[in-house]
Amino acid sequence: MAKKTYDLLFKLLLIGDSGVGKTCILFRFSDDAFTSTFISTIGIDFKIKTVELRGKKIKLQIWDTAGQERFHTITTSYYRGAMGIMLVYDITNEKSFENIVKWLRNIDEHANEDVEKMILGNKCDMSDKRVVSKERGEAIAREHSIRFMETSAKSNINIDRAFCELAEAILDKTSGRESAENPERVVIDRGNSDKATSYSKCCA
Amino acid sequence: MERGSSYPNAADTSAAAVPEETTLSIVQQRFKADETVHLIFEAYQIKGREHFEGLLTLVSSSSGGTYAIISFSLLRTPLTGSNDLKINKVFPINTSFKLTTDNKGSKTEQQFELCTDDDRPSQYCYHPIRTELGSDEFNEFCAEIDSCKRTMWDGGSPSEAVLNFRWLDDYREIGEVKQELKKRESEYIVYKDIVIYCATWNVNNRPCWDNKNTLRPWLACGEKAPDIYAIGLQELETTAKAMLNGNQMQMYATQWVRKILENLHNGVEYEELQSVRLYGIMLIIIVRKQLRQHIVRCRVNSVARGVFKTLGNKGGVAVSFQLNEANICFVNSHLAAHMGNVAERNDDYKAIDMSMRFEENGLQLRTINDHDHIFWLGDLNYRIQEPIGQQRPGPMSDAQTFELMLQFDQLRMEMSYDRCFKGYTEGEIKFAPTYKYDVGTDTYDTGEKQRAPAYCDRVLWKGKRIEQLEYNGVMEIRESDHKPVYAIFRVKIKTRDDYKYKMVLSEVLKAVDKRENDSQPQIITDRPIIEFGLVRFNEPVIRDFNVYNDCSQQVDFKFKVKDLPNDICEKWLHVDPRSDSLMIDSARSIRVRMLADANSVTGLLKKICSTSDRCDFDILILHVRSGRDIFITVTGEYQPSCFGLSMETMCRTERPIGEYTLTEIKELMLDVTPMYRVPMPREYFLLIDYLHKQSGQLKGIFQSYDRCQPLSSQFNAVRDWLDTWSDDKFPGTPQTAAEALLLLLDLPEQALLEPFVDDLLATRSKADAERYIDLLSEPKRNVFKHLCLFLCEGIERGDYDANNIATIFGRVLLRSSKCNVTIDYHSRCSEFMQRFIRIENPDTVVGGNGLSSASLQT
Repeated sequence: MAKKTYDLLFKLLLIGDSGVGKTCILFRFSDDAFTSTFISTIGIDFKIKTVELRGKKIKLQIWDTAGQERFHTITTSYYRGAMGIMLVYDITNEKSFENIVKWLRNIDEHANEDVEKMILGNKCDMSDKRVVSKERGEAIAREHSIRFMETSAKSNINIDRAFCELAEAILDKTSGRESAENPERVVIDRGNSDKATSYSKCCA
Repeated sequence: MERGSSYPNAADTSAAAVPEETTLSIVQQRFKADETVHLIFEAYQIKGREHFEGLLTLVSSSSGGTYAIISFSLLRTPLTGSNDLKINKVFPINTSFKLTTDNKGSKTEQQFELCTDDDRPSQYCYHPIRTELGSDEFNEFCAEIDSCKRTMWDGGSPSEAVLNFRWLDDYREIGEVKQELKKRESEYIVYKDIVIYCATWNVNNRPCWDNKNTLRPWLACGEKAPDIYAIGLQELETTAKAMLNGNQMQMYATQWVRKILENLHNGVEYEELQSVRLYGIMLIIIVRKQLRQHIVRCRVNSVARGVFKTLGNKGGVAVSFQLNEANICFVNSHLAAHMGNVAERNDDYKAIDMSMRFEENGLQLRTINDHDHIFWLGDLNYRIQEPIGQQRPGPMSDAQTFELMLQFDQLRMEMSYDRCFKGYTEGEIKFAPTYKYDVGTDTYDTGEKQRAPAYCDRVLWKGKRIEQLEYNGVMEIRESDHKPVYAIFRVKIKTRDDYKYKMVLSEVLKAVDKRENDSQPQIITDRPIIEFGLVRFNEPVIRDFNVYNDCSQQVDFKFKVKDLPNDICEKWLHVDPRSDSLMIDSARSIRVRMLADANSVTGLLKKICSTSDRCDFDILILHVRSGRDIFITVTGEYQPSCFGLSMETMCRTERPIGEYTLTEIKELMLDVTPMYRVPMPREYFLLIDYLHKQSGQLKGIFQSYDRCQPLSSQFNAVRDWLDTWSDDKFPGTPQTAAEALLLLLDLPEQALLEPFVDDLLATRSKADAERYIDLLSEPKRNVFKHLCLFLCEGIERGDYDANNIATIFGRVLLRSSKCNVTIDYHSRCSEFMQRFIRIENPDTVVGGNGLSSASLQT
């Protein structure tokens, strides 16, 4: 078959506690759809999605991992080779946020040293059930110099933007540190108001 | 699954299940409008040991005028749409194309190979659509290919140059995205009008500074300022001296460009895009400044003709470029002169048309005909053929006379016979012949030769969406014996609407991604968790689960090897099969066997202890090739037994081990305090006590021991007897008891004499050794002493042989976990044991008076 339909291939990984919405985030990004029925991921699924960034077609191969505790040892073996990792917690679930530190440790131990990371506080549409404030999310991201965003797979908030920003960070690295204008940035969520304008274009 | 049940069995699927018209029409959808599918031939592609069902389709392109075979694989059978077809390989039927049959094959299964330029041959196995027709259909397929070859090559020797296979690019290297974009071109392509001004003038060796006069009547005469000028000059300087002097020629050329730039339409900023020159033949392309940024891939080349067909006093030069989405080519040629040389002119044309190439991807690939819009201008030198017996036309002035003369125009005649400029168009000529004039006048040649007037200087075009606005000669420019000619065109240039393009692109990317995501091989399992229930030591348990192929293609799966334990599963599990292939809608049963035995129980207990919560026996990774991984959790409850437990753990129990839950045992195992409920494990005491009482009937025991040997049939009864502290009679023979005793000693992670194995082996006397023995944990020390006492007595009574005992027990008790085992390790173990089982004076025996003491009160 015709082989190359893209310029670059980035492998991304979604990790985080069970039930935080990793699969929903991926489903929203790849199929622009959402389902509220919870089916626990038992294994490693992946989907591909091609985005255009700076005139380049970038094929994202996104691996969705099982979040259940019993699989933690086994899922860490998939960290190797990932160029970007999305670390997801649920803003309505304190425990999932506390575990971020544990997941970060896992990344340090098992992932490539130069892996690009991003923390996502998912389910930000459920403000009435929120237990983790956005400030706490931002704080932990700042502390570890990681990008951060609050997202909602259900309401399609920041999903495209998150992936594009992570992909762009990898692209910066890949294309020989040409990103002098924004060195080592810690990107804090710029709010939901601009989500539809500047960023959704690149992934539309 | 339900969806799957409607599918025919994978083995039965063939295109025969679908009416052929349907398959053909579905396949046809994969191609462009001017491409026709002639024949579909079903074949298996053989790759190594595997083979894949596919369709070979014979396709022709009317624009390319060529045939090719395109091999598809089927993502789904029967086909439901063109998306079910995946292109495998493209075979252009060119000179290197070969179809070779393998006669070794049987009649019903005939193999043949398809071969093309670059690749190794792909092998296909013949598989007829209608079985009863058998090899007839294959013959038909071959015959059709032969007929295609004949059509293309007309019996003559084929030349790659005339065969155009560019249409195939859409199906090979260029990706799916480009294919899709091409298909949807109409959605984002708009056509923009541009004005192209083509001009040609044979300047008759007059340097341009002789032209005091303006060129404006020629170059600035149109109503509208052109967007592109293509100006061809001939005979810039044809004297041999000048032709050999490159600098001088170049100087002339530069002067001409400057002069021309000064005489273009007013009010528009122009710039020279590119010029190309072959001696006196020069082509200058000038474009509006603001158009420049839309032009890419500008290339030039020339083809020399003339003396010896190579000198270059005749020939052609050309410029090729892409403006927006349109490929445009301009050719300026000066063909062979003189009335009689029609065939030479035709040959010159053909040579230029065939050999002119422009670079693409580092190769000279693009031909003149690979452009959307081609403009061919120049001194083509075709004359007015004087009809025999008819007078040479005199000086002419009116359109009627021109029309009369043009009936005898060689170019028109040759074109009508398809002998040159095939596919080109020329506008109506309403101007006087442009050759030959007395220089400085509008008078035809009055010189000695009295050359007949002719339309030497012409502008032709080929391509779509070209409209000629003007075509004229310019009488008032008199510096040459030729009059300049110009033609103005309005061309609708294919242009991408960037906004619409982005929309289409994003839709295409989505669709292509979706296709890839949807075509991901998938299998499902009926049970992601394999529950073994209660598992006991030395009792194998078997569980089966099923995997189904849930998707529309064959799926290969295997269990992935994990880093730890560097196998697909833990030692206590056995999985069969470890890999397999599944046809569509088929299922496979996979068997998992669990066995905690002498070889694996220590590892299992260790894993249980190192897991914080409830411990799964293992997690298997079921990997689908090119697809996802499924985790199969293997779990259950291990029933603790004394086998595999350390002596310390056993001394912490207060009731039979069989009454403990795994969690309770785990707690005891993790306990490191030196607090013991009994001085030595009851289980050891019970076994030794039994054996001691069987004195005299112990013939043949302790003769050999191998942990890997299968255990005796009564073993499990002995296990239960020990794990329940049973008051019943010992359920086995002395042999079983000996076996169980050695196993009890051998299985714990730490050997009985650890951590002092190395120290003990270094000792020279029993007294030395005893200092270390005293440092052992209480349970170990007591078991050791008790055991030695028992063995001594047995040897004394002649129950068994001292050497055997020393060898077997030495190896078990001094089992080293370290790998630096020396050659004499076993003999040293044996020597060490000898010291403790040697019959000595009863007074010096440690522990006093024999085994009768029931010292195990809790």
